[in-house]
Amino acid sequence: MTKPSNSDPAPDKLQILVQEGLFYQPQSPKEKPYLIGSRCSLCGYVSFPKLMVCPCCVQINTMEEMHITGKGKIDTFSVCYAALPGFQAPSIQGYINLEEGARIWSLITGVEPSDESLKIGMDVELVIGKLREDAEGNEIISYQFKPVKTDRKG
Amino acid sequence: MRDVVIVGVGMTRFGKFLERSLPDLGREAIWKAVGDANIPPKDIQIAYVANSIGYQLTELKGTIGQHVLAAAGFFGIPIINVENACSSGSTALRSACLEVASGNFDVALALGVEKLFCDNTARSSEAMASGTPYAKFGFMFPALYSMNLKKWMEKYGITQRQFAKVAVKNSKNGALNPNAQFRKPLSIDDVLNSRVIAYPLTLYMCSTMGDGAAAAIVCTRDKARKYTTKPLVEVAACELVSGTVTIPNQPHEPLEARAARLAYQKAGVGPEDVDVAEVHDGMAPAELMLYEELGLCREGEGGRMIDEGLTEITGKIPVNPSGGLAAKGHPVGATGLAQIAEIVWQLRGEAGERQVNDPKVGLTENAGGWVIDDNAACAVTILKK
Repeated sequence: MTKPSNSDPAPDKLQILVQEGLFYQPQSPKEKPYLIGSRCSLCGYVSFPKLMVCPCCVQINTMEEMHITGKGKIDTFSVCYAALPGFQAPSIQGYINLEEGARIWSLITGVEPSDESLKIGMDVELVIGKLREDAEGNEIISYQFKPVKTDRKG
Repeated sequence: MRDVVIVGVGMTRFGKFLERSLPDLGREAIWKAVGDANIPPKDIQIAYVANSIGYQLTELKGTIGQHVLAAAGFFGIPIINVENACSSGSTALRSACLEVASGNFDVALALGVEKLFCDNTARSSEAMASGTPYAKFGFMFPALYSMNLKKWMEKYGITQRQFAKVAVKNSKNGALNPNAQFRKPLSIDDVLNSRVIAYPLTLYMCSTMGDGAAAAIVCTRDKARKYTTKPLVEVAACELVSGTVTIPNQPHEPLEARAARLAYQKAGVGPEDVDVAEVHDGMAPAELMLYEELGLCREGEGGRMIDEGLTEITGKIPVNPSGGLAAKGHPVGATGLAQIAEIVWQLRGEAGERQVNDPKVGLTENAGGWVIDDNAACAVTILKK
């Protein structure tokens, strides 16, 4: 890390989580990110984000916190050319079928936003990183998914 | 429960009215409905007021219904504020109907009023997206529609061109509607060549921001006969549901289909009896899916319905003769009641150039919001002449 020099007095940017309690952001390269979800001890229903009550069983104290490793396949996706203020367009929005059994919405990153970049059924993995910058230049940190790199060419 | 009839409806034109306030828009719709019903205003005993986004975009941060009713000259009666995203308007109607059906009151007003345009478009866009807590992650409704549509296109061989035909039909209907925000008929090429929002959706397939208000006055049949000689329109059903979660390996009935099933049951009619419908085409192609979900055609036949012109004003089962959300406009909280106003006009034979041929039974479908993986709310209303 280099300190900002006096001639370049840009203030340090903050990293701000988009929401607390949603995912774990690795603090070193050895650590892996995960999503914080929940699983019903009665029926096995998996949710992300975490739910306190299982929507299938509707009983209290059946949902247990669960770390979701963030491996899954693209269920469906769309390249979206409209964006809310502060967000980049185009973006790739998708639903991911997680290995653990839940189907969740996510942005998909790490590839050109075009219909040709992705295929339904493609393996994707979780990344925690910058979603966007806010008006003050702070980094908003969120979860996204990116295609799993196939080992080597050929 | 007592029969409930709609004795009067009214709406403002939908559009961009920077100079008009929520109370101003609401007042116009209320007094148009009062005039239509030929009712002494003091006979209105209770009001339900639907608004979704006014709290964020206008100076009114609470009790919007009371402010709007005050501008219209109504004081002292119970006023209840209703928020259910895009389905707020029909939710207000449902509550007003229950007041009359239960015998609690004889005459009730349902009003929907919304102002989405302000001097800062970015602020309006953010406010409209705030119906879900997911906007902060970058979640976009058009992309959600797009994903559902792509799956459906693949399953039944539906084409983008067929989706464009829905927008073309609705723009043609909107051109005949003096209350519509957009009155320019579009061609298939216009729609297909407009900017891609999220394939297969293009700009002209999507509803946009709008300002406006719509109102309905409901009462008992006996009371109504004292006020008006116009044909009375019965609210045969007004059924509201919320969304459910998708459970892996279990069938998930779309909430529109669930609301429709309940409404048909309550009204004692089937989809084959529906002569005219106003449906929630936030994105025009969704209309094709709704044909199936509402039972207006069999699964996979939505494309054929539009190809054969069956849902044109002159067709077998006209859908969105008003122009629908994309052409008529979509001032969120007002939309459900504008759908009701259109069906009332159609059933009475007062719809002018866009009149369908002698309808007896009409249906509206009005859905909104998003929770986990389903719409937050959906109401299906069946009206009978």
